Amino acid sequence: MTEAHESQQPERPFYMHPAIFIGYSVLIGLLFALQEYLNARRWGYRIGLLFLSEMWGMQFLLWGIICWLLWRFLRSFIANARLGALLTRVLPLSIVLSIIEEMIWVLFFPRVPIDRPPMDYWHRLTFQLNAEFVDSMAIFWFAFLFFRGVVYYQKYREKDTTAARLQVQLVQARLAALRMQLNPHFLFNAMNSISSLMRTDVDKADQMLEQLSSLLRITLERGEVQLVPLYREIEFVETYLAMQQQRYAGRVKQTLSVEPGLHDALVPSLILQPIVENAYVHGLSQCSDQGELSIDIRRDGKRVRMSVVNSGNGLNAEGGEPGRRGVGLANVRDRLRLHYGERGSLSLREVGKGRVNVTIALPLQINENGTEEAARFDP
Amino acid sequence: MTIQVVVADDEVLARQKLRLLLREQTDCEVVGECATAAETIALVRVTHPDLVFLDIRMPDMDGFDVVQALSLLPEFAMPRIVFTTAYDQYALRAFEVHAADYLLKPFAPERLQNTLQRIRERANGVPATEKNGPRYTTRIVFRSKGRILFLPVSEIRWIAAEENYVRISTEAESHLLRETMVRLEERLDPQLFLRVHRSAIVNLQHVKEVRNEPDGETAVILMNGQRVPMSRSYRTRIQRLLHH
Repeated sequence: MTEAHESQQPERPFYMHPAIFIGYSVLIGLLFALQEYLNARRWGYRIGLLFLSEMWGMQFLLWGIICWLLWRFLRSFIANARLGALLTRVLPLSIVLSIIEEMIWVLFFPRVPIDRPPMDYWHRLTFQLNAEFVDSMAIFWFAFLFFRGVVYYQKYREKDTTAARLQVQLVQARLAALRMQLNPHFLFNAMNSISSLMRTDVDKADQMLEQLSSLLRITLERGEVQLVPLYREIEFVETYLAMQQQRYAGRVKQTLSVEPGLHDALVPSLILQPIVENAYVHGLSQCSDQGELSIDIRRDGKRVRMSVVNSGNGLNAEGGEPGRRGVGLANVRDRLRLHYGERGSLSLREVGKGRVNVTIALPLQINENGTEEAARFDP
Repeated sequence: MTIQVVVADDEVLARQKLRLLLREQTDCEVVGECATAAETIALVRVTHPDLVFLDIRMPDMDGFDVVQALSLLPEFAMPRIVFTTAYDQYALRAFEVHAADYLLKPFAPERLQNTLQRIRERANGVPATEKNGPRYTTRIVFRSKGRILFLPVSEIRWIAAEENYVRISTEAESHLLRETMVRLEERLDPQLFLRVHRSAIVNLQHVKEVRNEPDGETAVILMNGQRVPMSRSYRTRIQRLLHH
């Protein structure tokens, strides 16, 4: 991720580039020059705009360079200085720098102050310091506060992006954990069935091992992928159903219908399997005669609605460990919430004569990039 | 006619499973077993089997190297190769070297039956799909339900379009493929497959009748009772074909 890469070194805001920073500083100087020029004209005093610009421009050019050097070399000190350091170090520094700046400036303008008899360098410097020392200090401290502000803003921004990234990682970790809870559960049930079939019907046990391998292969192939095209999910459910059909020896009539336009809709990987498993464990395994299981996937406006209906003894008279159904479905619900927030939902209700309907609804997202490998033809 | 078989796999239990399953077949005889690629090449040279079950990952060379080495032998009739492996990533390569099938371990006896049945059909004369020249496809390979299928087109009953996908129905099951009807129709022999609807192609060998329904629609009825709707524009074509 480029974001992670960037945060490893301190961010360099574009406005702290030397050319831009010093350029702005000079621009401020020129504005002061313009202001003084207009003022002077108002009082009927004649002085050239060019000359004023040179003086002010030079002043702020020097300050720009000084401040940029401060930023470049003393940034962390500026950001962290406490009151003690402010008084013992920064204050003397501000005085020294103000004097140095004026010393350089005075060198450049031997004619200043104008309309006065010629003076030597030290006189001119004293004169200039008298007039401008406070201004210089103000410039220094303004720059100082500005730098501190920039550093604080950067820190705040960094914290913000880190928090967002952590949030994403947390969600991913939780999703992975939830998925892991789903897998071993049915894996061990299947192994138990095979272990039992081995004694009675070797061929069937063999067949079931093949089916179980297919399921594992599909799961491993997907790896950490969270969203898959619906037809991949259906493929998984079909294989799972075939395996269950073996275990229940045809006692359950299964129907599965999917609206064709939805094959490419993205759904959370392995979202249906725990619901179907629940239908078997808590509903179909409880009835001795012919059971029914139907899975129906439809488009409903901008949503995909997947419902699983099974016959059995209804919600109240459910066998098995009480509350187990709740755990499996709570996982599904959690995953839906993590993926879709309020836009995903799961409902569980009884629909007459002991039939239980579990319906998941989630926003319709079509997988645009057809990454699926195509069939090959021979020859 | 017996099929002479060589089983090559570095794992003894894997060989045992094949040996036991093949023993149940009256027309199969295991003429040798081997655990390395070098052994396999030597054994196949000597025994001239009809069929080799070949593991892809073996200690010295892999299964493809074996096929390569065998194909370089002069005057040597290449046996049919069935790859047996736990890995699915070699399927396309296996398809390209004209393997007869690709068995993903573990496989059920049923799946092996299926493979042997195809081998027998090929041995007992050229299947219908092959005499029509190389222009049309004889097999399709794809991944479905965690398996690799080398599906001979003769096993297809009918094909239905579902948006960007096609559903290929065989006797036992159906597979969803990301493919277009147009591309499939181009690759299928028109002597055997007929487009009866914008969204349906049927295998003529499995068509029982064309029926006019009471509601004025026409439908193709397959041997297994499956009803496939037919559109007007295609009706004359199929009737002409069936009446000849």
